[in-house]
Amino acid sequence: MSKLDVTDIQGFVLRGYNLPFARYLFLEIADAQRGRALIKKLLHRITTGEHWDAGKPEWTLNIAFTHKALVNLNLPDASLLSFPVEFLQGMKARGEILSDTGKNAPEKWDEVWREGRADIWLAVNSKAKATLDTLGADLQSVAEETGGAKIVGAQDAGLFWIDGEWSSKEHFGYTDGFGNPDFLGMERDTQPGQGKLMADGSWAPLATGELLLGYADEAGELPVAPIPHLLASNGTFMVYRKLHQNVATFRRYLDEKGKLYAGGKEKLASKFLGRWRDGTPVELSPDARDPSIVKDPQRNVNFTFGNDPGGARCPIGAHVRRTNPRDAFGFNGRLVNRRRITRRGLPYGPYVPEDQPVDDGGEHGIVFMALNASLFRQFEFVQQQWVEYGNDARLGNDKDLLLGNHEARDKHMIQGTEDPKNPPFVCGGLPNFVELRGGNYFFLPSMTALRMIAEGTVDPR
Amino acid sequence: MSNINHKTYAMNAITPMKWWKTWIVRAFFFILGTVKPLQKDLVQLSFIHFARWVIIKRNEFPHVCNQQPREKLKYDYLLFFSNFNGTWNQYIDAFSAVLSVGLNLIWRWSEKFPGSVPVTPFKQYIARCQFDTDYYYTAYPYATTNDVKAAHRVQDALDALEKESAGKTAEEFARSYRKFVLAVQSDLGQTGKAPVGT
Amino acid sequence: MANQSGDVYGLTILSPILQDLTAETSHNCAIRMKLAGLPNDESSPFAKVSSTHMARLVVMDDVVYVGMPSCEEHLKSQYLVFETNFDGDLDTYLTRMAREIPADVDAVWQHCWGYPGTKDMAAFIAYMKKCQITTTFYFADVNNHTVQQTLTALQTQAAVAEFIEKNQDKTAAELQAAFAHFLGKLREAPAPVPGRPEKGGPPRIETDMKWATRNAANTQQVTHNE
Repeated sequence: MSKLDVTDIQGFVLRGYNLPFARYLFLEIADAQRGRALIKKLLHRITTGEHWDAGKPEWTLNIAFTHKALVNLNLPDASLLSFPVEFLQGMKARGEILSDTGKNAPEKWDEVWREGRADIWLAVNSKAKATLDTLGADLQSVAEETGGAKIVGAQDAGLFWIDGEWSSKEHFGYTDGFGNPDFLGMERDTQPGQGKLMADGSWAPLATGELLLGYADEAGELPVAPIPHLLASNGTFMVYRKLHQNVATFRRYLDEKGKLYAGGKEKLASKFLGRWRDGTPVELSPDARDPSIVKDPQRNVNFTFGNDPGGARCPIGAHVRRTNPRDAFGFNGRLVNRRRITRRGLPYGPYVPEDQPVDDGGEHGIVFMALNASLFRQFEFVQQQWVEYGNDARLGNDKDLLLGNHEARDKHMIQGTEDPKNPPFVCGGLPNFVELRGGNYFFLPSMTALRMIAEGTVDPR
Repeated sequence: MSNINHKTYAMNAITPMKWWKTWIVRAFFFILGTVKPLQKDLVQLSFIHFARWVIIKRNEFPHVCNQQPREKLKYDYLLFFSNFNGTWNQYIDAFSAVLSVGLNLIWRWSEKFPGSVPVTPFKQYIARCQFDTDYYYTAYPYATTNDVKAAHRVQDALDALEKESAGKTAEEFARSYRKFVLAVQSDLGQTGKAPVGT
Repeated sequence: MANQSGDVYGLTILSPILQDLTAETSHNCAIRMKLAGLPNDESSPFAKVSSTHMARLVVMDDVVYVGMPSCEEHLKSQYLVFETNFDGDLDTYLTRMAREIPADVDAVWQHCWGYPGTKDMAAFIAYMKKCQITTTFYFADVNNHTVQQTLTALQTQAAVAEFIEKNQDKTAAELQAAFAHFLGKLREAPAPVPGRPEKGGPPRIETDMKWATRNAANTQQVTHNE
């Protein structure tokens, strides 16, 4: 296939910037004309997927729209109605499907999400903290000048600074950032294990259409996309979820159960996720951490579950196994290839070392952002069928220990062996370790589409 | 009306076939029925409780009494009834992804069948040929076929443990029990409400 | 044989529905209305005919027209489709329907051509068999367990999961006592009811350890009595 026109695609889609600071601004559009003027002013500053010959820039800027935003920008009805249903409805309306009920229900969300006021997502990523403020102020003044939109909310996020360097840890202590899929045409260091499994055991990139609209997907079709082609092409959909983490509850649970589990606390933590907290994949090294694997891109994502059908190494319900089953369902992984998502999230809130006291009420969590060509077929499916349910993994109604919206009799089963250090162990009495505080579905248009939206020249066939 | 009873979906589909093609489908089903390895993919997918195909030849619609008008049809019809777990989209996506060869062998003889790959025209065809269930009962609404099979494995293991533990010392029992737990440890998923149909 | 898979029978019946152009409510609408009011949980008539794993009733209005160049054609009658999957043989099942749920069966099938009613058992069975279509290919994922065995197994599965969780840190003696207690409770548990949407069957099997620890001294006695 021909190479992707990277300057037409927003940089946020093509790469995880790995810049340490981020601020997400949420804007409410005032009216269509002034809204378009605002977008026009921002156009030239939006970061595309162009090569960074001179290294990373000081900052990046990207933009995305809810369906309501596009309505408020007066896109033609035919285009508006041609967007996929789930995007039209927005994430709040999909609550039953996503298990955003009870503790995760909209009544518990931050005001900006509860009231559905965020039309536009404007994301700044930067090398320095001060840049967030200067650029933020800059964007504020552009918004005021044009009168196009009001900033109704902001969310800061960023990497933790631990032991003199930037870390990819999150609040539960796990090292994050592994396993984003490879796609055809992307110029990115492919790692074995990231793509799809081939019959001969090798890994190949996924079809571009699993991420980008306008390209063939894994089913050999074009994913459902809005009309006209130019509006959709090179764009993608994003789910944004602010996931509050109950860090105190997690630490307490891990301590308590860690005392009862023969393998010890760290091994127990590894059995929740499917990686040790340093990032070692449990499937490759079930008994001990192994920094050599973590550091080796040829190995740290390169594993399958075919030799571990009983879950004795990586529990069947472990998070990484639930969210990317690889070959665990047989058929050489073919049932998984259309269910992959690209994650771009960052933790928010101050890092609290393990030996320091922490409070569930504190601002600690992850801004979870995932990109996919079809929210319904990819993110929503994984969330509904594999995280909040377990039938495909033959685990009945059991939910993901870390993310699940748990009910009274929920449990996470750790399968074991005869080895006394690796016994079967039931983790019961599961509290909600993660709680949803809001979010929505966004459309990240290509630069061409963005220009059309700004000019008001979207024209459905 | 509902096609869904908690975890199970009752799908009904009818497709017309030119009468001279019917024997091909019958032959294929005969082979499928006798050559068990051909069913292994279906068994591996593991989300169908019960499914059946029923060929009704054009003169075989039940005629019960003289006053009932006799059917006069050109086509034979292939009826399909499935009791499956999961959502409509999930079910068809999975079949299209991994069982397309088998699906094609069954349905290519039906008029205007577009093939099971790519999946969207296939879904459109099914939507055209599907008719809705008016009443659906299942004896175990909170269990999928995976749950049922797991439950039987647990029951068998428990029965064996019960037999084996007669007259054992505490230590001996503890050993048997540990083996028992290892045997059932992947079969303990709880049953419950189904995810919302989408 | 085509209608059977292991111990499970797949019955397919197509009953032609009466057409009365003068009726206020057509017969197929009447059937639909009746079916809409029928419970489909443990109060379902098919829960009473308890050998039923799964059953459906569908009013098939017509054959499908798939579009040109196919020919368009239509059925002269609508058909009531009855698809059921049950344990045992056909005659027993039909007999149970006529004997245990005659009112519901009559209420639905009275709208069909030549329906004799459930009072005359032989005529009823003959009618149903006349409307039966032989299944061409029948797939049953689990075909060697009855409904009751399946419901019991589901109940056991839930109870075992809870037992394992509650007793994973017990000593050998405590475990043995708890297990004996557990088996007793499981045996006493009321038979699960078909059709009921219930996690792991009716009343939770108590796997409480309190009894066993209080009676730890008696564990040896208990094992000898087993």
